[in-house]
Amino acid sequence: MASQDVVHYDSTAQKLLRVAAAAFLIFYLVWTLLPFVIMFTSSFKDLLEAFNLPEVGDWGGIGVFFDFTPTLKHYTSLFAEGNFGRYMANSLIAAGGSAVVSVIFGSLCAYSLSRVDFRGKQDLFFWIISTRMAPVVAVMVPLYSIFRTFDLVGTLPGLILAYTTFNLPFAIWILKGFFDNVPYAIEEGQMVDGATRFQAFVSILPLVAPGIGAFVVLCILFAWNDFLFAAIIGSGGAKTLPVATRELVQPQNIQWGSIMAAGVVTTAPMMLLGLVIRKYLVTGLTMGAVKE
Amino acid sequence: MSVRVPRRCGTHGVTTIWKGPVMATITIKNVWKYYGDTAAVKHLDITCPDGSFVSILGPSGCGKSSTMRMLAGLEHISSGDIFFDDLRINDLAPKDRDVAMVFENYALYPHKSVFENIANPLRLRKTEEKAIKERVEAAARLLEIDHLLDRRPHELSGGQKQRVAIGRAIVRQPKLFLFDEPIAHLDAKLRAHMRGEIKHLQRELGTTMIYVTHDQLEALSMADYIAVMHDGELQQWGTPSEIFNHPVNAWVAGFVGEPAMNFLTCDVIGEGDSVSLRHRNFDIPLLPQQVRQLNGGAAAGRARMGVRPDALDIALERPGGPSITGEIFVNELLGGDMLVEVALADTRVRVKTTPEFTGKPGQTCHLTVNRDKWHVFDTTDGHAYF
Repeated sequence: MASQDVVHYDSTAQKLLRVAAAAFLIFYLVWTLLPFVIMFTSSFKDLLEAFNLPEVGDWGGIGVFFDFTPTLKHYTSLFAEGNFGRYMANSLIAAGGSAVVSVIFGSLCAYSLSRVDFRGKQDLFFWIISTRMAPVVAVMVPLYSIFRTFDLVGTLPGLILAYTTFNLPFAIWILKGFFDNVPYAIEEGQMVDGATRFQAFVSILPLVAPGIGAFVVLCILFAWNDFLFAAIIGSGGAKTLPVATRELVQPQNIQWGSIMAAGVVTTAPMMLLGLVIRKYLVTGLTMGAVKE
Repeated sequence: MSVRVPRRCGTHGVTTIWKGPVMATITIKNVWKYYGDTAAVKHLDITCPDGSFVSILGPSGCGKSSTMRMLAGLEHISSGDIFFDDLRINDLAPKDRDVAMVFENYALYPHKSVFENIANPLRLRKTEEKAIKERVEAAARLLEIDHLLDRRPHELSGGQKQRVAIGRAIVRQPKLFLFDEPIAHLDAKLRAHMRGEIKHLQRELGTTMIYVTHDQLEALSMADYIAVMHDGELQQWGTPSEIFNHPVNAWVAGFVGEPAMNFLTCDVIGEGDSVSLRHRNFDIPLLPQQVRQLNGGAAAGRARMGVRPDALDIALERPGGPSITGEIFVNELLGGDMLVEVALADTRVRVKTTPEFTGKPGQTCHLTVNRDKWHVFDTTDGHAYF
């Protein structure tokens, strides 16, 4: 899959265009990274230092921004006084749990849709995808009422179930593409060799592993960053990081330092995860698209 | 499961991995296969004797692969029965049929080593580790891939992958081997080599083998029996020599043999003992027993004469006996043979001769038919009179 070398012969206009493109990219980089930089540095600043900002247009004053004595007090307050360890665990369990459940049922369903022909299969598949077409808010009230009936509001299983409702169609949709690309002969060979249908299914899972990996990440990202479900379904017993962060905004006291620290705690794990599996994620998402 | 001790095999010094052959007579009884309303296999009846090498031969879409997949249990049998000895296997899952299959595209695990690929059927049967190692290594030695056991399939050539696929089939002792066009993807030279290897392997192991191919040369050179299929129907069952020398109909005659048989539509002239085939380029009498074979059929009508390129002799001088006169169209030198295409009034025929033949395109030539080796087919249903 090596990309081809394209021969370039640049005219002056093209050279100018390239400089413009580079300038745009630099602007874009600053635009996207600056909020994170401000959040990250502010989380280590005392409240007074955090608001010590240079005037707009005063480029020489940038030094002021980095002139502070680092402190960990916001982080310690989050975990010692607040209950952020608990909230972080809740986020992890809800995101991971929903990813695991979605992968298990999603791959089973995707495999069946990929391999077995039955009447109404196309309609079923469309129906599965169509459940993703309505915005979450549209179903929130009935969903809440259903969850309350079953005493699932404010519980982690409830939150996992809520995320799964939205992740599962996505899983089926993505994974079916991956199963479609696995040659039948491999699992047929398995069955002739002495495997049951289920063993044959399990045996081809390594071949769709990039797809499963990519999906798990997307699934975790969705649940980890979610606010709406967490605020309504998870409210009370299953508080997650975004909801806990929101609660730091109190009418008489907005705890800026803690909010910044909470932002870092929420963002950092996903960024690290993204860095670690970056290559994997790209392979996974393109593999389903390209038929060999 | 008991450990099978490898033993040295006499003549070729190869190690066999089994104690003795486990064989089965495969009986296919009036089997039909439908896809929707389309019949892919129609009233198929085949009996493969114990330990025989049977080739199912036919063009793509003839139902040969469906037949194989029904034998393996990968497709349901629409109607009819298949027996392995006395055991009806219609409703058995693939894993319970005790067959081993080699797929056209090898079906190897890309992420597993050659050793693990070959060991797969043993692992599925929970064979103990020591026995797995012994048998995988014995199979690898037999196929001469024992130096590749640590590699991954993508590091292997086509021929090596194919050997791994065969290794996976022979590592346990199945009742039946199913080979689905296993060497179709290999290049011509390697294909020729593997034909011999597979034939030798089958004889060595002694297990019944059903080998599906569209290549008539593979079937003729390897099989004990050939089942020729066309449009879902069995056309002919027989030994390679029966299929080649006594085709039952014009379709089989035309499909088997390379270069293909020449067909000429002729008038059947005469009565009693002297009947001849007449064409604008010739008038050749039938041999006496052929007259009897033709009687009650097409006498005094039309028929298709079929003759293989090697049953024709070509000469520039007119020979003494009956002959066909034509004009040389083109000469093709095929190494040890020469193929001459001769233009007749309404068609062209191909003749195999020696490279010493001196005729040039455009020259008039005369063809003599070896009448022991010609065939006459019915013009309507194509069945052979002889």
